[in-house]
Amino acid sequence: MAARRERVRLDLTTPTLLGLPVAWLVVFFIVPIAIVAAYSFDVYSLFPGTHGFTLAAWREFVHSPVYLALFWKSVKMSLTVSAIIVVLAYPLAYYLALSGTKRKYVLLLVLIAPFLTSYLLRVLAWKVILGDQGVINTFLFWTGVRSPGHPISQLLYSRFAVMLVLGYIWLPFVALPIFVSLESLDRRLLEAASDLGASRLQAFRRVTLPLSLPGIMAAFLFVFIPTLGEFVTPSLVGGANGYMYGNQIVDLFGTGFPDWETGSVLAIFLFGIVTVLTVVFTRFLQPRRVAAD
Amino acid sequence: MDVALSRNGRIALRALFVLVVLFLYLPIAILLIFSFNNSELPAFPLSGFTLHWYHQFLTNADLKAALQTSAIIAAVSSVGAVVLGVLASVALTRRRIKGRAAVSALLLSPLVIPYVVFGISLLLLFHTIGIPRSILTVVIGHVVISLPYTILVLVPRLEQIDVSLEEAAYDLGASRLRTFRSITLPLILPAVVSAFLIAFTTSFDEYAVASFVVGTRTTFPIYLYSALRFPNQLPQVISVAVVVITLSLVVVVAAEVGRRVAEQRLGSLENAG
Amino acid sequence: MPEEKDVLERRFSREDLLKLAAVTGGAGLFAGQSGLARAASVHLAKETGRLQVLDWAGYGNDGGQSMFAQYVKTHPKNKPQFTYMGNEADALAKIHAGLKADLFRPYVGWVKYFATSGLVQPWDTKLISNFKNLNPFMVKAGQYQGKQYGIPDDWGFDAILYRSDKVKPKAKSWGLLFDERYKGKIAWFDDIEMLEIAGLYLGFKDTWNQTDDQLKQSQKLLISKKHLVRKNWSSETDLWQLFGSGDVWIAYAWPNDWVQMKKKGLKVVYMHPKEKPIAWVGMFMLLKGTPRPNLAHAYVDAWSSAKSARWLEDNYGYGHANTVARPSSSDLLRALQLTNPRAVTLPNAYLDRDIPRRALYAKMWEQVKAS
Repeated sequence: MAARRERVRLDLTTPTLLGLPVAWLVVFFIVPIAIVAAYSFDVYSLFPGTHGFTLAAWREFVHSPVYLALFWKSVKMSLTVSAIIVVLAYPLAYYLALSGTKRKYVLLLVLIAPFLTSYLLRVLAWKVILGDQGVINTFLFWTGVRSPGHPISQLLYSRFAVMLVLGYIWLPFVALPIFVSLESLDRRLLEAASDLGASRLQAFRRVTLPLSLPGIMAAFLFVFIPTLGEFVTPSLVGGANGYMYGNQIVDLFGTGFPDWETGSVLAIFLFGIVTVLTVVFTRFLQPRRVAAD
Repeated sequence: MDVALSRNGRIALRALFVLVVLFLYLPIAILLIFSFNNSELPAFPLSGFTLHWYHQFLTNADLKAALQTSAIIAAVSSVGAVVLGVLASVALTRRRIKGRAAVSALLLSPLVIPYVVFGISLLLLFHTIGIPRSILTVVIGHVVISLPYTILVLVPRLEQIDVSLEEAAYDLGASRLRTFRSITLPLILPAVVSAFLIAFTTSFDEYAVASFVVGTRTTFPIYLYSALRFPNQLPQVISVAVVVITLSLVVVVAAEVGRRVAEQRLGSLENAG
Repeated sequence: MPEEKDVLERRFSREDLLKLAAVTGGAGLFAGQSGLARAASVHLAKETGRLQVLDWAGYGNDGGQSMFAQYVKTHPKNKPQFTYMGNEADALAKIHAGLKADLFRPYVGWVKYFATSGLVQPWDTKLISNFKNLNPFMVKAGQYQGKQYGIPDDWGFDAILYRSDKVKPKAKSWGLLFDERYKGKIAWFDDIEMLEIAGLYLGFKDTWNQTDDQLKQSQKLLISKKHLVRKNWSSETDLWQLFGSGDVWIAYAWPNDWVQMKKKGLKVVYMHPKEKPIAWVGMFMLLKGTPRPNLAHAYVDAWSSAKSARWLEDNYGYGHANTVARPSSSDLLRALQLTNPRAVTLPNAYLDRDIPRRALYAKMWEQVKAS
């Protein structure tokens, strides 16, 4: 690689280059979120009435038994889904990255491709499959495993349905960061471990696993954060009991009676949690990567 | 001996891989089967072959309008996202920036926001400044969403290119713009195309944010979502699903293959030059 | 030529005086002198442009064209332009955000709220030729302080639909929606009405104005029974799919849902509970400051005709306030008790009404869903 020649240049173009994208994000991303925050403190409102800075909505959010419990329910559902599919995706990524198969990129594409097709359509597919008269149940009737009139009802419109579908949607995507981190693994480390007498399992536990930890963490985050705020899948296959935190936010803005203030509180709370998580995890990832180099 | 996998391990993992891939494609296959099924209800046993549903959706004006709307929104917002993405990526990889970490974080932050929060925030913004909800507002939102993806595709490619080529151009007296147009842009073109396609598919499929800011128009995902509630529309929707999924699979594969081939060729050009 | 002009002007000003009187009653109090002058000038000017209608899905050019066909015939230059309202809260939000609509359709429980909101003005019933045929009890429900703020049109009952081949109710009661024996086979309605129903079941005297303590009890009942519920439905086709596929055997439902399920060949019963069903009535309301009040009246008149009424009953299965009209389906006739003009009031049913603390009810219901 040719040596980079340092030149002193008047860096006037950087503001021009960065200006537009940054401005776009500030106006259409930062400002809207600030508005939501202002709404949650009643500093701003679209409906007539007396308004002014108040923590009332936030206090109610914290003290009410309902909202934080719903958030916790969503956290549990997201954690479960994320953990299961990360555990499932790891061996897949391992196979692709480390088995020396010649067509690893092709196979990776085969794995990831469903994720790049329509989200709603894949949820639709499960709606068709899981219902009382859906594919699974009618198949069971047809083959005589269950008698018609006794379908398995817990498949659709349940917490199970939501978690199954969310897992299905995100599984392909989750394999990617794990694959990337395993692929950059230096095989010589494993060879060295083997020379020193370690078994494959020990090498895996002591070398591969720790070094792929950043990939695992990234994968976990990639699925945990979006599923935490999910509302589309729960509304299609969740029924009354698969209701998640995101659904409450949507409902507060859309149905019953406008309660945009409470809705804003819930939205900002979610946003805050997600931001904190992201910051913590990226800090956590950086030092590890440096050590591994 | 293989240090990473035993022979049995390899067989086991291969089997797992096949099973998972089958699991991933099975619902899509089921949609395919029932799109030809001669019955309003997707259920076993099968009722015979028909092309009726495909014909129905091809003559469905509402559906076509929704597809058109989505295509327009996707095209416009992708162009916007790619343009902004190129600007940002060039700045990130070719310039010294104070507070680079903060700027990167800002540019990538839409990746981590739950769409329900973003959709609502845009709703409030447009209510506040009095912009009526329409195709334009959806385009604005989708540019924000797609921007990080374009940057994530463009930055690695820009870093990959040999900077000395650009430096040589400057030495020969070319302006920055000229250099970009003649040297950089052709070299990053495969990545630009990739970025455009990713932004396009993201926008075309996006439901959450669009549902908040689209106003009275209908995008394809919004049409799908409401069609899911009408049992007699279901077979038609399944046919559409099959077509869209097949098309996007083809596009994705073609794009990825195309990108690799193009970059390889450009790489050999680079080295020759 | 000049004679014609005279006649026109005279007729114009008589109508205008009547309208001014109506509008003044509603608007003058708030608008003051300048408002009156503005209102007057608006009415004297010719009404132009398309009529801006804020309405529910299915009532516009997406299926409901027959309801206002007569209006389109007589006013081809002012064809209606529709904006969807997801529900009354959505309409309220849109109006506050600046949507310029001429008329919209909240339901009877919101009449008092909108009448006192300063957003609407009363109708001049003399301009609605079909007004005399509208059900008097429903008409009364559209009045506030003697003025006709709401013109009734579509209506129905809220009661219980169940599969008689799968379900044996213990009593003719709202309690069937809370029956432990049918876990996972029950569907509720995604609306604060569930709190009203809980209140009726618990025997509260005024379920629309429950005390804090009563509301807590209603909420507690709903939360404790939520595990029995498969889905909270919000669109009728949702409900038909759930019933049709056998996912649900018991549901809060409207009369047409019974008719539709019967058509599918299911053995279903539409049960009026002993605590009484609730009756709902759609009310056209006229927005204040509309530049097209005449056109709005003409539109509502078209909607109120016997022809439109029959179409609504035949095609959407809702009742219509026009007492002269009769649907083709005798099942629907029975379900709606259309031969009884008192069907919507006591002793047959409770007519839905204003909820003074609606915001609180809404919050409580959202919490039920979140629990």
